[in-house]
Amino acid sequence: MSRLRLLALLAALAVALSGCGLGGGQGDDDVSLLVTRDFGARTLGSFGPGPVEGSETIMRLLQRNFEVETRYGGGFVQAVDGIAGGREDGRPVDWFYYVNGVEADRGSASSPVHGGDRIWWDFRDWGTAPRVPAVVGAYPEPFVHGLNGKRWTTRVECVPGQEDLGPCGDVARRLGDAGVVAAKSLVATEGGDENLRVLVGPWQDLRFDRAGRLIDDGPQASGVFVRFSDDGTELQLLDARGEVARTLGPGSGLIAATRWEDQPPTWFVTGTDQEGVKAAVRALEEGALGGRYALAVADDVGIPLPVVEDRGGR
Amino acid sequence: MTYRRRASPLHAARASVALAWCAALGAAALVSWHPLVLAAVLLTALAAAAAAGVGREVGRFTLLVGVPIAVLFMLVNPLISREGLTVVARLGGVGPVPQLDVTAEAIAYGAVTGLRALAIVACSALYFSAVDPDAVLRLFRRFGFRSALTASLTTRLVGVLAADARRLAEGQRCRPGPPASRLAIVRAVTASALDRAGDVAAALELRGYGRAAPPARARAPWSRHDLAFALSAAAVAALAAGAQAGGLAGFDAYPRVALQGGAGAAAVAAALALAGLAPFLDRRGIAR
Repeated sequence: MSRLRLLALLAALAVALSGCGLGGGQGDDDVSLLVTRDFGARTLGSFGPGPVEGSETIMRLLQRNFEVETRYGGGFVQAVDGIAGGREDGRPVDWFYYVNGVEADRGSASSPVHGGDRIWWDFRDWGTAPRVPAVVGAYPEPFVHGLNGKRWTTRVECVPGQEDLGPCGDVARRLGDAGVVAAKSLVATEGGDENLRVLVGPWQDLRFDRAGRLIDDGPQASGVFVRFSDDGTELQLLDARGEVARTLGPGSGLIAATRWEDQPPTWFVTGTDQEGVKAAVRALEEGALGGRYALAVADDVGIPLPVVEDRGGR
Repeated sequence: MTYRRRASPLHAARASVALAWCAALGAAALVSWHPLVLAAVLLTALAAAAAAGVGREVGRFTLLVGVPIAVLFMLVNPLISREGLTVVARLGGVGPVPQLDVTAEAIAYGAVTGLRALAIVACSALYFSAVDPDAVLRLFRRFGFRSALTASLTTRLVGVLAADARRLAEGQRCRPGPPASRLAIVRAVTASALDRAGDVAAALELRGYGRAAPPARARAPWSRHDLAFALSAAAVAALAAGAQAGGLAGFDAYPRVALQGGAGAAAVAAALALAGLAPFLDRRGIAR
């Protein structure tokens, strides 16, 4: 074989191995897209779950299904179906997106879509919480598919003495029903930084966790629009401006997610007391959590968070 | 590329009108995105150059300057743009190198931008070779006497210094031994430029240019070519602006390539070419 042919063969091999090729390549299955406004209060449209084309990015998927206006060289979504970022009623509003319930850390034009991804674009007020690092609205994601095609290990952390009983066992069973194998441990046990943690128990027992402290620090730190009283027996539900819209007493539950630095999200299935925790566990299902940032539960009725005035429903 | 008076309707038109005509053609390329309209502007500029007797110069300049710019746009845009829905090729995607998707829309956008650059370069080349720069400077001397004088002197001194450099280089080549560095020539030319500038300033002062009194406005009757090119410039500008405002010649590359106008765009392109080239039909009184 001549040297030229050998070089050509090596070049072809390098091209093949480096993922180069003509066309978009193999597509992915079971991808869904949800577009809402006001923290999921109003659905503007959706796609899937269904197959998508090869080399699909989150931006392309949005552009295929909606009228999109971009800025900064096509890397930033300015408007979807005419709803444009800027200011509304003196408050800053813009488009944000979540993949499997995790806020994006890069532009949608450079984020590839992976099989099973649940992509959620929401047009919201970011005056109070510029970052909402994780939401519960993609349940059972991110437990099933993780993020960027990489799955995380799930760990359900329980209050001592309840590892196999009551709410903690119920959460593990519900995750199991969704196809997630979850390890169990005690709250605040060191177990590495690469686990997707689900903390289950009354708030007084969870608030000392580092992610729990974010929630106590308010929505600007955690992206969760609630505030617990000092003794954990009262739960204040906040609106998008961070003001108290409603106060719940004993027996109230909460399902919320936040993220400590760059670690996988931490979920809380909690409440003002044991009854509240049980109520929260009962709400841990796709139908109740879909399209919500977080969910409070009072008298077995879910209350989406932050509290948004009704603008015509979903 | 230098101006030389030729026997053509464009050369016969007054500088202000010829300038407006070239500007209208260039503006049409700047405001339009439709490939048909851009192609019409390019072809009009090249045909006008041929009719004005400067076809070779304009064609050469467009080829040497415009084509590389256009090719650069065509090659670079698909590699840097992340927009477009139709992926035609995947590059990279290994290790820290992110996958780069080349889209048909980015290629189309690059091609249209290249065509636009080509049209603008052709219009500029036509201006440089068919519009008298001295007459253009005279237009502005009433408003900025010193600026017009400075610009006029600069354009002349550049040629004088280039001739100086050529002479010095020839003298250098005649010397025996290894060739001296070009830096020596640059140094000599720069020094002589300062000397010449001092001489020119002294001559201007002696002739009373320091008073900077605005010259009287020269009035000359409009010729048929002045009128024809003025009407042509107005028609070209109106067509381009009207087509843009009326959505007759729109072009969107992203997220999918969309050409607006259909037959309307073709009509605008044809009308623009006709309006631009019509003044060249009258060749009476074009000799100097």
